[in-house]
Amino acid sequence: MTVAKPIISMRGVSKFFGQMAALNNVSLDVYPGEKVVIIGPSGSGKSTLLRSINRLESVDYGSIFVDGYDVRAENAKINAIREELGMVFQSFNLFPHMTVLRNLTLAPVKLRKTPKAEADAQAMKLLSKVDIRDKAHMYPAMLSGGQQQRVAIARALAMNPKIMLFDEPTSALDPETTGEVLDVMVTLAKEGMTMVVVTHEMGFAREVADRMVFMDQGEILEEGTPGHFFTSPQHPRLKKFMQQIL
Amino acid sequence: MDNAAMPDPENVPVRIEVTDGASIPDPKDPRIITAWSISLFGAILTLVLLCFCIPDRYVPIVKKLPEGIWITFQVTVFSIIFTIPLGCMVGLGRLSRFRPLNLLVSTYVEVIRGIPLLVQLFYIYYGMSKLLNVPAKVAAVVSLTFCYGAYMGEVFRAGISAIPKGQTEAARSLGFNRVQTMWYIILPQAWRTILPPVGNECIALLKDTSLISILAVPDLLRVAREHASTSFHYFETYTVVAIFFLIITLILSKCVSIMELRLSHYDRR
Repeated sequence: MTVAKPIISMRGVSKFFGQMAALNNVSLDVYPGEKVVIIGPSGSGKSTLLRSINRLESVDYGSIFVDGYDVRAENAKINAIREELGMVFQSFNLFPHMTVLRNLTLAPVKLRKTPKAEADAQAMKLLSKVDIRDKAHMYPAMLSGGQQQRVAIARALAMNPKIMLFDEPTSALDPETTGEVLDVMVTLAKEGMTMVVVTHEMGFAREVADRMVFMDQGEILEEGTPGHFFTSPQHPRLKKFMQQIL
Repeated sequence: MDNAAMPDPENVPVRIEVTDGASIPDPKDPRIITAWSISLFGAILTLVLLCFCIPDRYVPIVKKLPEGIWITFQVTVFSIIFTIPLGCMVGLGRLSRFRPLNLLVSTYVEVIRGIPLLVQLFYIYYGMSKLLNVPAKVAAVVSLTFCYGAYMGEVFRAGISAIPKGQTEAARSLGFNRVQTMWYIILPQAWRTILPPVGNECIALLKDTSLISILAVPDLLRVAREHASTSFHYFETYTVVAIFFLIITLILSKCVSIMELRLSHYDRR
């Protein structure tokens, strides 16, 4: 890991809403294959940080590089960069007017010009992987939350991204369906996908994370392995946070 | 299993209420006797009874008017064909972050909405005939398109704004650009939402075509007026005109209702 170059590199990133700093001088590197879990209280800027990686959120200062490309550049090929960054949202955001299968094939067919038959076959493979193959021809509204989120993960994977970003993927789910989604994410992690995950699921973090990041009030207060976080957190805010959440 | 998913507030279909046009029948209402069916069959029955009981007065009218219906139909259809794309562009322009375009389109909407359609008709008709010699029918279609393009633009704007932001974010994060996102993701969903109000505007447009009779276009009302002025059967003639308009409007509103049902297949289980 020491020789590899970071695939995501953020330096001195700040974003302000008026006087309030949503991100305050944040620097973060993510290496290929690494799984980084970002935790922190709500409003701490962790979603903003994640969303700034694919420029769903613009920032005011600092540099963000993804796979060597400057995300903040005026002339950045942002759509090409986004194709390499799969994103999964808290509220699933499946396209309700398309079947599950079409949700998966739309981007490969329209953006990569993949032939439809090939895209369909690839989509069915992904749907099997997230264990939802039998729902391929249904519309999202017919699925449960957990099923929808698994489809959303498959949809992001359909573009063969190098990195997957998860923005509180299980926060809208009940405990039972949360399990189905986390299982899929664990499988993905084991396959070596680079993942940046904002979550409150400490069990998942302990099992999967290579590194954990604690944010509060727009700043990264502590970084370390799960072992470090769970046994010997240093910063008083993190200590308190871990006590409350466990 | 876990099918008791919580109701997702983002998937509740939005209904935009408008009151001109006509009331669109609820496509899921299984009842046979509704305001719609009473109106339609009442209108047809009245017409049949009148022709049957007082044939010497009503039969000539009923025979005469269809030539006007054809013109009314043509003007309506062409106006709708031009109005819907115009409305879509106006709606997009109103939402554009490109300020000059936004201002231009908003001003258009503001101006058009502030002038009565009848005045617009006169203005465009005489304005156009001054510059280039166009048939009255064309002037009528142009005026109606301009006027209803503004109203339709507001409907499109409302429909597009009603699509949750998450849809745009999901599409953009997959790598779609702004135009692709609008075309593949936002507009198809917005279209479903705005179909009832768009249908409603179309019906309102149909009714407003009666104004073109003032421009020497031989539409339904114009033909009726000519017939009445020669036969002196004013009341009888306008009774039939009213019934004709009512029947056409009711049939159209049912068509909208059926289209709405066919487009709603994905939001109910």
